[in-house]
Amino acid sequence: MSDFLQLVFSGLALGAVYGLVALGFVAIFSVREIVNLVQGEYAALAGLSAISAVTAGVPLLLAVVLVVPLVVLVSVVIERLAIRPVHRMTPLVSIILTLGISTALKAVMLLVWGPEAHRLPEFPGRDLVIGGVSIQAQELWILGTAAVVGYAVVWFYEHTGAGKALRACAEQPIAARLVGISPRTATMVAFAIAGLVGAVAGVVSSPIYLSSWNHGLTLGLKGFVAATLGGLVSFRVAMLGGLFLGVLESLVAGYGATGYRDAVAFVVLLLVLLVRPQGLALKASGVRV
Amino acid sequence: MSRAFRSLTSALAISAAALGAAACAESAETGGAASGSGTAAGDIKIGAVLDITGAGASLGVPERQTLEMLAEKVNADGGVNGRKIRLLVEDNQSTEDGAAKAASKLLSTENVDILLGASRTGPSLAMRPLAEQAKTPMISLAANQKIVDGSTWVFKTAQNDRVVLERIVDDLKAQGLKKVAVARDASGFGEGVPEMLAEIGKPAGIEVVHVEKFAPDATDFTAQMVNIRNAKPDATLIWGIPPAASLAQVSYERLGPKVPVYQSHGIGNQVFLDTAKDSADGLRAALGRMLVADQLAADDPQKEVVTQFISDYKAKYNQNPSTFAGHAYDGFMIAIESLKKAGTDPNRLRDAIEQTSDWPGISGVFTMTPEDHSGLTKEALVMVTVDSGKWKVLEGAS
Repeated sequence: MSDFLQLVFSGLALGAVYGLVALGFVAIFSVREIVNLVQGEYAALAGLSAISAVTAGVPLLLAVVLVVPLVVLVSVVIERLAIRPVHRMTPLVSIILTLGISTALKAVMLLVWGPEAHRLPEFPGRDLVIGGVSIQAQELWILGTAAVVGYAVVWFYEHTGAGKALRACAEQPIAARLVGISPRTATMVAFAIAGLVGAVAGVVSSPIYLSSWNHGLTLGLKGFVAATLGGLVSFRVAMLGGLFLGVLESLVAGYGATGYRDAVAFVVLLLVLLVRPQGLALKASGVRV
Repeated sequence: MSRAFRSLTSALAISAAALGAAACAESAETGGAASGSGTAAGDIKIGAVLDITGAGASLGVPERQTLEMLAEKVNADGGVNGRKIRLLVEDNQSTEDGAAKAASKLLSTENVDILLGASRTGPSLAMRPLAEQAKTPMISLAANQKIVDGSTWVFKTAQNDRVVLERIVDDLKAQGLKKVAVARDASGFGEGVPEMLAEIGKPAGIEVVHVEKFAPDATDFTAQMVNIRNAKPDATLIWGIPPAASLAQVSYERLGPKVPVYQSHGIGNQVFLDTAKDSADGLRAALGRMLVADQLAADDPQKEVVTQFISDYKAKYNQNPSTFAGHAYDGFMIAIESLKKAGTDPNRLRDAIEQTSDWPGISGVFTMTPEDHSGLTKEALVMVTVDSGKWKVLEGAS
C-alpha cells in the first residue's frame, strides 16, 4: 500500500508541474485562439536563469523571485514582436510561428548554458516520511505553488473585471472592442500570465527534475496534453489533467514497464482527440470555462 | 463544432511538428577544425562523431574540448611527421541515426584517415559497420564490449563494462554482499549488464535479484526505487550516466533500501557530483585513476601523463577534465602514436593501433591485441567513493 501511495504522491508532484504548464496554454488559448508552443521553453528558461543567478551568488529565493518577471517580460516581448504583427491569426499560423520561436529560443539556451543539465538547489524545508511514503520538501513546494498560482489564475479570469474582459475578447472580439476592451492589450496580458505560470513551473521543478536547454519540449508536450483534456479552455480541467497525467505516468512506470512512461501522455492525447475532441469539460455547445 | 475540430487538427499538427523539431533543433553545433591551418593535401584528417547535444552531452562536450586542445597542441609541436592534423567534429545529437549519418559523411565525403567516437555505446554500434565497410580505423570512446567484439577495424578506449563489473564483483565479494539489484540505463550502455554481472558473480555466489531500467533522459525514479526496495537486495548497482545516474542516486538515497550502492564508470565527471550533491556521499564506484590523480602513488605509471593532462586541461578550460575527456585523450593519442609509426595507409595504421603495448594513457595502461581491441584490464580501475563532494580512493578495497 505504501508503494502505491508513494507512486501516487510522486506522480502528483510531477503532475503539478504539467498542470502549471497546461495553465499557460489555456491562459492564451482562452483569450485568442493561439497555441503557444513556447510554453515549455518558459520553464526551461526560468530554471536555467535561476541557476545562473544562484551561481552568481544571488540568494536562492531572491533569484527565483527575480527570474519570474524576467520570463514574463520575455513572453510579452514575444507577443509584441511575433504575434501582434500577424493580421489573420489562426491556430495553425500560431503553431508554426511559435514553433519557430521555440526553436530559436532553444538554440539561444544551448549557446548560453551549454548542452548539460543543471540543477537548482532545493528550496528550504525538511523531507518527511509519513506512513512509509517519503515526501520531499521540494515536492510540497511544487504542490503548494501550483495550488496558489492555479487558484490565482482561475480567480483572475473568473472573478475580476479584467479577467472577464479577456474572455470577452475570445467570445466576441468585435463586441468586446465596441465596449472598449482592447484585444491587443488582452493578448498581451494573456501572454504575461502564460509566462508567469511557465516560469513558476520551471523554478519549482528544477531542484528535482533538473533544467536543460531541451527540457521544454517534453514538458510543453505533456502540458499541452493536459490542456487538451480541458479543451484548451478550462483552467480547472487543465490542472486536474496535469495531475492525472503525472499520477498515471508514475503508476504505469511502477506497475507496468518504465519504458512506457513517456508513451502515456500520447495515448491519452489520442484517446481524448478520438473520443472527446472538445475536451472533458465542455458541453457540445462550446460554453467556455 | 468547427472550433473543436480545429483544435483537433492543430493538436495533431503540434505533436508531429514538435517531435520533428526535436530532431532539427539540435543540429546547431558543427565544425571545429582546431588547427586553423589551410586544407593542404598533406593534412591528416581525423574525424570525430560525438554526443555533443542530447542525453550524452555530459560526455561529448568535454570530449570535444579535449580533442580540440590536443589537435592544437600536436599542430603547434609540428604535427605528425611534418603533416598537420585537421580535426573534423560532428554532433550525433546522442542518437544512433545521427551517428550513422555523421560517420558516413566523414567517411565518404571527407575521406577521413581515422574515425573517433562515438561517446556512448548505442551511437558507436551504429558507426561500427560503416567503419568496417569503409576499411577505416575507428576508435570508439564508449564502454560496451559489443563495440569491439570480433571487430577488425574498430577499437575503443573506455574500460569495458566487463572489467568494471569484475572490479565491482571483487568488491562485493570482499564486503560479503550476495544479492544485487540492478537499475540500468535502457539504452546501449546498460545493455546486457545484469546478465554479465550474474555470469561474473556466479562463482562467488553473487546473484542478480532484480533488474530495473530507466531511459537516459528520465527525470523521475520513484517507480524503480520502490521496486528495488521491495526486492530486498544486499546491494544495488546503478548503471547509467549523468544526469540520469545522478537523479537515480538522489532517488535511491531517499526511497531505496538502506544498503550499499554501486555506480558504474559512467559517473566519472563533475556533472555527476554537481547534480547528485550530498546524495553521492558513500557510494562505491569503479573508476579510472584520473579522478583521484592527487591520491596516486608517485611510482604509478599513469601519474605523469594524468597530471600533465589535468594541468593542460585546467589551464585551457578552467575546469577539471572528466573521465570522458580522458577517453578522448586516449583515443586521440593512440591515433597520433600510430599515425607517427605507420602514416595514413589504412592497413598499416590499423596494425599499428593493434600493436599498441604498455602505453600509459588516462584510463589505464593499454595493451591491444588482435583478440582484445579495448586494451584495458581491471587493473585500470580503482574503487572510489565520494566524501563531501570529492572523489576518494577507498582504502583497503580490492
